[in-house]
Amino acid sequence: MAVDVLRRNNVKVFGRGTQPMVFAHGFGCDQNMWRFITPAFQNDYRIVLFDYVGSGHSDLRAYDRTRYGTLGGYAEDLLDVCGALDVRNAIVVGHSVSGIVAVLAAKREPQRFAQLILIGPSPRYINDGDYVGGFDRADIDGLLETMEKNYIGWANYLAPAIMANPDRPELAAELAESFCSTDPVIARRFAEVTFLSDNRADLVEATVPSLILQCSADIIAPPEVGEYVHRHLPLSTLRVMQATGHCPHMSHPEETIREMKEYLSGKARAA
Amino acid sequence: MGKPALLDDGDGADTTASDLLAQAPCGFVSFREDGTIVYANATLGHLLGVDVHELVGQSFERILTVPARIFYQTHFFPLIKLHGRAEEIYFTLRAGSGAPVHVLANAARTEVSGAVRIDCVMLRIHERQKYEQELLHAKKAAEGANAAKMRFLSMVSHDLRTPLGAISGYADLMLLGVRGEVTDAQAQDLRRIKEVSYFLLGLLDDILTFARAEAGALTVSRENVTVDSVVARVEAIVAPQFETAGIAYAREPDRAGLSVCADPDRLQQILLNLLGNASKFTPSGGKVSVRWSVDGDRVRIAVTDTGRGIPAELLTQIFEPFVQVNREIDARKQKGMGLGLAISRELARAMQGDITVESVVGQGSTFTVSLPAA
Repeated sequence: MAVDVLRRNNVKVFGRGTQPMVFAHGFGCDQNMWRFITPAFQNDYRIVLFDYVGSGHSDLRAYDRTRYGTLGGYAEDLLDVCGALDVRNAIVVGHSVSGIVAVLAAKREPQRFAQLILIGPSPRYINDGDYVGGFDRADIDGLLETMEKNYIGWANYLAPAIMANPDRPELAAELAESFCSTDPVIARRFAEVTFLSDNRADLVEATVPSLILQCSADIIAPPEVGEYVHRHLPLSTLRVMQATGHCPHMSHPEETIREMKEYLSGKARAA
Repeated sequence: MGKPALLDDGDGADTTASDLLAQAPCGFVSFREDGTIVYANATLGHLLGVDVHELVGQSFERILTVPARIFYQTHFFPLIKLHGRAEEIYFTLRAGSGAPVHVLANAARTEVSGAVRIDCVMLRIHERQKYEQELLHAKKAAEGANAAKMRFLSMVSHDLRTPLGAISGYADLMLLGVRGEVTDAQAQDLRRIKEVSYFLLGLLDDILTFARAEAGALTVSRENVTVDSVVARVEAIVAPQFETAGIAYAREPDRAGLSVCADPDRLQQILLNLLGNASKFTPSGGKVSVRWSVDGDRVRIAVTDTGRGIPAELLTQIFEPFVQVNREIDARKQKGMGLGLAISRELARAMQGDITVESVVGQGSTFTVSLPAA
């Protein structure tokens, strides 16, 4: 095989079970974000972690503007990882934008996936008529500017040093650990692709059952969005968590694990 | 920690550590992991133009603008949670009046007997923010200008190709005698015209490739190709150059059948450039060799010469566009613009590979192309 996906996407596989549980990180982070969740599942599942190209310790050289110009490109990363490991009957756990990426991947190759767990998914972040996404275009422009200013110090300074010193991986590690992305241009593009995309139409054709974990007081994916996803995504179960914020798997891992286990054991009460 | 150390001035003023914290010339806020503010100092209240007591019990996100809230959830919070601290983070707070307040924040996560707290210091950056804004705009303008330059280069070199083609075409016609007999002297001149126009076409191709690479529009195919087939093609082209220059060329132990995943034409372009350079920079009586080997999942193709070598301080520069070693000394001998190595490296990288160089002054250089093994 020409492309070494396992290296390109920094894939890690561990755990004592046989059924694969593939974790897909969200925008602004990398596979490290799952470290509070995976210990609860590694005895019963085969855990698969990876970084999207452009995030974490992925191979930046594999970044392609066109491919990653839509969420479909990120879904291809997920499918590539599943393909390289010959994953079948898998559970995909996707945070935030990766919730939608998981839906897109399951649409393309439904036979690979048994269930999806979507943490704070949103098919569209920008308000549109009656649809409440939570943001206006100006908010997203403000985010891009905030990112640029924050990356100016880090990435603009370090990125050339990283490119010029491939033998000094600690430089890349320093940046990756700071912002989980080593390239300001890629990070900006990922932000645009994430926050400006509209994947509402992709929800309706899903055939893989899913759990939607909706936080209370989540500014990025407000409750209306969780309800919208639940209404339009066939075979979905919606659970509203006590957890607040947008990263319950980091801020409230116990509740997140409990919800996941209940759903996987078939005990979750559909809302 | 014990009691904070405070010097008693003996002037009767009853200053406590918490007074100092409240009045410190920076905003300070302490919140729980779920964002609930447990303490905010008076300075933060002043910055936001609100009563500081109103902040306690509220969510930290409430004092941020909407873009800053997204950044908090996607970057700041994961950073603190995973690494325990966040430094020099640019944020825009939202004042009570709704006006934006630009700050630089440092935050640290502490855990005392199970209770997690995030302490965050905020410095207002009014003037610096304007300056950074200007920097950002200047940077964008420079990037735009660079892109325009590249488009211009690409257009000009494209437009120059057509008349150049015509020049060598008409020279051909005359050489063939289509316009009547030509004398030997005229034929020699016409051949020079052709040679020079081919040379110019080569330069234009370099500029076009370079402009495409800079614009990120370089396309390469990926297929399995045997290294010896490409090397053989390149040898056919460069052999006469080596012969004329009096350089011994050798292909070391032939590993026939070893394949790489690459674009054969682009790999040929890279090897032509490396061998062309070797022929230019190796003195008469010297030696140039090519060998290749497997290294893990890569194939490394090395071109070694016995030229005068490259000083260590120039090793990183030679891959930059328009850079040549000893430009003045070589002006007579050198043809080209110093784009060859820059292009070769871009091409190698576009094929998931790279080019590196090792050199000893006085002994020679080795350029190594590494590519994914097929």
